[in-house]
Amino acid sequence: MRVAIPQQQHLPAAIAALGLLFLAVFLLYPLLQVFGASLLNADGTSLTLANYVKILGRPFYRGAIVNTLSIGAAATLITTLLAVPMAFALVRLPVPGKAAILAVAALPLVLPSFVSAYAIVLLLGNGGIVTRWLHGIGLGFGSIYGARGIVLVYVLTLYPYVLLPTVAAFKAVDVSMEEAAQGLGSSPGRTVATVILPIVLPAILAGALLVFIETLENFGVPFVLAEDLPIFAVEAFKLFIGETAPNPASAGVLGVLLILTTALVLLVQRWFLNRRRFATNARQTPPILRIGRGLQIAATLYCWLIVLLALVPFFSIVVLSFLEFRGPVLHGNFSLANFEALFDKNMRPFANTLIFASLAALCVTVIGVPVGYVVTRWRSGVATLLDVVATLPFAVAGTVLAIGFVVSFNSGLLVLTGGPLILVLAYTVRKVPFAVRSASAIVHQIDVSLEEASVSLGRSPLQTFLRIVVPLMLGGIVSGVVLSWVTVASELSATVVLYSGQWRTLTVVMFQALEGGGAGIATAAASALIVVTLLPIALLFRLVRRYELG
Amino acid sequence: MAGIVISGASRSFGSVRAVDHVDLDVGEGEFFTLLGPSGCGKTTLLRMIAGFCELDAGEIRFGDRRIDQLPAHLRDIGMVFQNYAVFPNLTVAGNVAYGLRARQVPAAETAKRVEDALRLVQLGGLGERWPHQLSGGQLQRVAIARALVIRPQVLLFDEPLSNLDARLRVSMRGEIRELQKSLGITALYVTHDQEEAMSVSDRIALMNAGKLEQVGKPADIYRQPTSRFAAEFMGTANVFPAQALGLAAPVWVSLRPEALRFAEEAPAGWPRLTGTVSRIEMLGPLTRLDVVLANGTVLKMASLDQPHHVLAVTAVVSLAYDPARLVMLP
Repeated sequence: MRVAIPQQQHLPAAIAALGLLFLAVFLLYPLLQVFGASLLNADGTSLTLANYVKILGRPFYRGAIVNTLSIGAAATLITTLLAVPMAFALVRLPVPGKAAILAVAALPLVLPSFVSAYAIVLLLGNGGIVTRWLHGIGLGFGSIYGARGIVLVYVLTLYPYVLLPTVAAFKAVDVSMEEAAQGLGSSPGRTVATVILPIVLPAILAGALLVFIETLENFGVPFVLAEDLPIFAVEAFKLFIGETAPNPASAGVLGVLLILTTALVLLVQRWFLNRRRFATNARQTPPILRIGRGLQIAATLYCWLIVLLALVPFFSIVVLSFLEFRGPVLHGNFSLANFEALFDKNMRPFANTLIFASLAALCVTVIGVPVGYVVTRWRSGVATLLDVVATLPFAVAGTVLAIGFVVSFNSGLLVLTGGPLILVLAYTVRKVPFAVRSASAIVHQIDVSLEEASVSLGRSPLQTFLRIVVPLMLGGIVSGVVLSWVTVASELSATVVLYSGQWRTLTVVMFQALEGGGAGIATAAASALIVVTLLPIALLFRLVRRYELG
Repeated sequence: MAGIVISGASRSFGSVRAVDHVDLDVGEGEFFTLLGPSGCGKTTLLRMIAGFCELDAGEIRFGDRRIDQLPAHLRDIGMVFQNYAVFPNLTVAGNVAYGLRARQVPAAETAKRVEDALRLVQLGGLGERWPHQLSGGQLQRVAIARALVIRPQVLLFDEPLSNLDARLRVSMRGEIRELQKSLGITALYVTHDQEEAMSVSDRIALMNAGKLEQVGKPADIYRQPTSRFAAEFMGTANVFPAQALGLAAPVWVSLRPEALRFAEEAPAGWPRLTGTVSRIEMLGPLTRLDVVLANGTVLKMASLDQPHHVLAVTAVVSLAYDPARLVMLP
């Protein structure tokens, strides 16, 4: 039998084939290697569960699992409890400066969380500025290291994941539902509890699960703050890099367990959200509730406090980077010595960061946009498969993917370890799901008949994609490029496994300074990272504003 | 320019036969309409011709040239879409020039043909406007100019007027018809609106459940429907068993409301009926009445407004019908 692909499906089929090929080589194969490493005996000759038995038999690693999950659960719970009332206040209460709050609230999502963790150490750590000052006036508090500090940083950096979708959901509640409930005799409080909350619940849960997954995969924050507390991603890294002897099998076991946990959380989320999809179409945004002066002030303070508290660590680290350090000890004098130390030795890390981020953002876009187009436009099993595979990196911690890369590409046909390309490829794979999601969301907004009109006027599907679809997606593509760029620039978890020699990035410099106690260089690197992140975002913001005004 | 020859075209989606063995011959320069309710397969058939829908079986030719296996962009078709599909990232002139640029027509000629096409659809001088500055009717004119300017073999219209308001719909359909006739391009038009279809078409194919129900000139289908479906879809019809009129034939018949008159106004030779008025709908120039016969059959009739002849519900009336317009249905 002849298997023919109909004419109009040549382009999507070709894109899907290339996309699957890329993901097979740079995602599935490395993951398979991690699975393999965890399931093979010492000689690599037969399958065994001995590695799992060994790891799970040790209280230390069982502790790592329990710690990671309970820290994640605590952070998720606190984040949700803080963000949902804030979202309600921002949509329904008379809080001044809402637009500013929402714009600033998104920043922690792009700023590197381990920088926030490091700032917390400098402020509240054992020798921290605030700690010493409080001791000076006779106040003491427990140690910030361990679970408490990690949860604090997670809450401060991840709360927008719950806040932003919940704000959107509150805005989408049709007022007539509330009016109907009140018309049926329900009190305002009861209406919120029985009508509004159930409608926004799916959005809250989706956000909360994102927070939970981020905590499971995060490497930088526990690396800075955990001290002796064992945490999944950090222990996998330590086992693999191995201060004594590298142990890919045990690292593989932790990696596999981490992937399975995240995948499980994602599946639960899908299952839950698929059963509850309440679409309500609000014709107008719901009205602002009338409340007393006292409550208004309280709500305003609450919103501004959370937004600003989340940014305090980033702000302080920029200030601290201009102060004089002697070893780890801070002196109060203004100084550019930290930046001199950072840049004098070598501009390479800075240049590497910019180059890798640019290359990765380019690759992510070139792969993500066509794939996002295909998974939206092409109804077929292949497109569904592509969608699933392209979402998979989301469930894979950077550390684990990087371990897979090292195991896969240090020998054989394709040798990448030791070079710069392996970093760019790992970044690309990690960010592809975000690019695919955002591209797909934009394609949904483009009417199919525009493409059909172009084809019927004589442009081939490929020309139509380039001349009509891409220009119409351009705004979204540019935002996507900037977001990929800034998140790649501050990527830590895969970078620390994959970098080598001259291919260090700013995050690696900071990471090494943390290990070696060079606090001054670490703050300078952190400041540079913040600038590198905020500058493109600010430019994008201006571009969007100008476009909207024009 | 060429006619369209469709033979044995079929397409199923799952277990639904969207287009079921359709044979159709559209003459060169003819304005041909596919008419039917939603889901009857008319749009699928149009999309098969345009190249956006594969055929399971059968073939489509433009004149002698078989086109159903050609990719859509090589078929040389001008298509006008329901939602205009004007490219928002191009100016009006850019939209109209799009197909010419794809054909690598020299720039000077492109500019001239674009200007001519815009004048043809009464948009002369608006070439530099952006689509978001235009009204719905203007957007549809851009779409028509864009389809015409490439001098396609065939023009396809996919419910082009259904997004416009009622008045504009009526004037636009007249313009489309005139344009098509003056250019002599073969046109295939899809609509679910029988009045629109009758107004623009040389011939109509009435479609139902993926099959052609009846093909013919608008007046012929209206006056001589060959099925209950055709009678009822093409305007209002009284469809009932012939026995209700006291006829012996065991068939169903169709009688248009305007073939019924009050007995006192009817010619002498018309058969008479008596019934009770059960519903009156005053529509301005026209009054619609439901009259129940003694045997329970409800007849819809329509009369021009007659201020001196006011009827009330329950009034008993004497009617007559034109025997020549009684259509026996198989």
